[in-house]
Amino acid sequence: MSFYLGWISEAHPAVPAWVTLLFVSILTAMILCLAFEEKLHAKKSVIAGLFAILCLLLGAVFGLLPFGPISVGGHEINLPVYIPAIDWGVIAIILGSSLFVDVTSRTGLFTWIAIRLTKASGGDPLKLLVFYGLMTVVFSAVLNNVTAMIIVGSLSGVSLKKLQQEDKLLGFLLVEGLLTNIGGLLTLVSSVPNIIVGNAAGIAFIDFFLKSSAYVLVATIVTIALGSRLFGIHRLSSEEEREQARELVAGFDENDGIESRFFFWFGAMMTGLFILTIASTSVLPYIQDLGMGFVALSFAGIMLVRYKAVADKFYEAIDWDLLGFFAALFVVINVMEHALVLQLIGTGLSTIIDAPSDIAAAGLLAVSAIFSSVTDNIPLAAMLAKILQAREHVPEQLWWSVIFGANLGGNLTPIGSASTLVAVTIIHKYKIKLSFAGFIRKALPYALVHIALAIIYVLLFF
Amino acid sequence: MTRIDQFESVFKSADKPLFRYEPFSVGTPLVLTDLDDEAAESFAVLSGKYTGAGGSREVSGQRVIKGSDFATIEECLDLIAGEKPDLICTYRGLHSDCWRWGQSLGSYVEVLTQTVKVPVLVFPHPASAAETIAAAEAGCRHVMAMTDHLAGDSRLVNAALFFTPAQGTLHLTNLEDQQVFERYMEAIDKIPSIDSAAARDSVLAQILKEARDYIKSCRAVVEEQALDVEIQETVELGLHVADYKRLAAARDVDLLVMNTRDSGQLAMHGLAYELAVELNDIPLLLL
Repeated sequence: MSFYLGWISEAHPAVPAWVTLLFVSILTAMILCLAFEEKLHAKKSVIAGLFAILCLLLGAVFGLLPFGPISVGGHEINLPVYIPAIDWGVIAIILGSSLFVDVTSRTGLFTWIAIRLTKASGGDPLKLLVFYGLMTVVFSAVLNNVTAMIIVGSLSGVSLKKLQQEDKLLGFLLVEGLLTNIGGLLTLVSSVPNIIVGNAAGIAFIDFFLKSSAYVLVATIVTIALGSRLFGIHRLSSEEEREQARELVAGFDENDGIESRFFFWFGAMMTGLFILTIASTSVLPYIQDLGMGFVALSFAGIMLVRYKAVADKFYEAIDWDLLGFFAALFVVINVMEHALVLQLIGTGLSTIIDAPSDIAAAGLLAVSAIFSSVTDNIPLAAMLAKILQAREHVPEQLWWSVIFGANLGGNLTPIGSASTLVAVTIIHKYKIKLSFAGFIRKALPYALVHIALAIIYVLLFF
Repeated sequence: MTRIDQFESVFKSADKPLFRYEPFSVGTPLVLTDLDDEAAESFAVLSGKYTGAGGSREVSGQRVIKGSDFATIEECLDLIAGEKPDLICTYRGLHSDCWRWGQSLGSYVEVLTQTVKVPVLVFPHPASAAETIAAAEAGCRHVMAMTDHLAGDSRLVNAALFFTPAQGTLHLTNLEDQQVFERYMEAIDKIPSIDSAAARDSVLAQILKEARDYIKSCRAVVEEQALDVEIQETVELGLHVADYKRLAAARDVDLLVMNTRDSGQLAMHGLAYELAVELNDIPLLLL
């Protein structure tokens, strides 16, 4: 540490080493507070917001912040220092896509798909696990992993209760929770770390999908097979049981949630178009300049026309805590950059990053996974993206190591990702006892397999 | 976590009980009277018009217990236990003259409905007003199954279907208790975190929708089974006894079918008793 601090002090004499250390302790405190968010009974946005205020204040006191006008398109404009610190492209993607998904879910499209699959399974537990597993992956990839977990998790609770198979609910919810983080690897917009790291690395949507899909497929099959084995989820043995299960799931009416047939098909068409447009943003003329955030917000705007009179209800449903958290987090990280904290961490990580390429990739993936398992993977992804961006000639392997590690670390603990937290919430809602340590014990075999597979994948294919 | 509840509600709403067609089995009905030979036989003919013992359905004749066969409730119950019937046909005011005032079913019938597990078909007393008897003798064309919770009650619908003849009409009636509904809405009105107007509209729409969806599934099964029966639906909010009486009169109903027991309850439940007493000019099937 003293070696790194000495090096930084020599390279940047304007920032004393003790100031950097002070900001390191602030960053550590924020990460700890975020990890114990539940215990503190405080929302992420409030925690990150308070730390952002503290960082800005101290940044101003120590003269770290670049006050003054900024140049936009040749024009100098005055903006508060914390406004350009925020990555508005990421905020726009998250705001637009969550609004789009929320409005589209009102068409009954996602519940229609979920119920059709339930009926197609005939109520057989193993088929149900396969269908729900695949649905979790696809929904996580297309929507986001929290929404996917909410849809598939709540359906699992209702359908297993109906099938009198509640004893298998823990297995279903755990497997689905883990699969949200696998599905979150499928596309550039499937999870926030993908958006942050993908944008920083300049990975295009199609390129991202092509490179991650083989891993997602293998990991999904392995997870479902392991889930079936470890939780004893098997096929129904007798024809009588199968007939009874078929009759029970036949009671589900997939059309129940569809208010308007026209809007249902419109929603289906818009979802397809949304995925296509997002996928081709980087090559579409004009759209490529406006970015994915514009695409997401535009689609949300078009869908809102159907509910123009009650659009405010959808605005109320937006996860403002998440958006506030991102904004504050970007501010904190920006100040950390000026305080040379990121440089210090980057220098510390250089023992891993500068190691022979295979060791570097495996090490960075493992370290990212471990860190993102105990704290939010978003600050980690944002920080590592900044650190890698600051380096010259970063091998592609390393970017993917961060992407895989940040996503898969969420499977190690119940607080590792928002979607596993949702899975645990549903588990507790159904009065199933599962402690923090209990989750780790049950999830560990899967998480280790996922991480080991990812290391092999990154080493072999990148 | 309101979004979990939101999606859970969507899936719970999509999970609908379906009508299961299991033809109601009567076997050999038991006709229970306090009349002498000739009068007992004519009551047996009347009840046969409903149960099909007259030849319209697969019912293997009927046994008759006459007035001279028993003198006490205990003897009556012993005779019934010995016969092991699937259905008992009797009339209000059996071994009693309470039917003249219409305030009670009579002690025999009341005990019967509490102690015997099989359905009881209760006719107006054979000595009732001529028009009441004439209406009963005309037979059963329009049957009404009435309840405050129809969804999932296949037994009630199957029983009502059994008594509905070919080309007859089966009225499936779900009357939600307005007083209970208002009581809950009053409580909701006092909770600041709940939008009262939205709650009223949503709760009412949901409880009525459940019954309507179930009737839709009944219609589908009736069609699938090629039963020549017209299903009419009445699903509304109302005041139980008064509105059931109104609906029965408006639909010119020949037989009312209703549940009388709640799980874990020995005696006839409140609403069934009130209806059984008040609707004294219409045959009732008490399940």
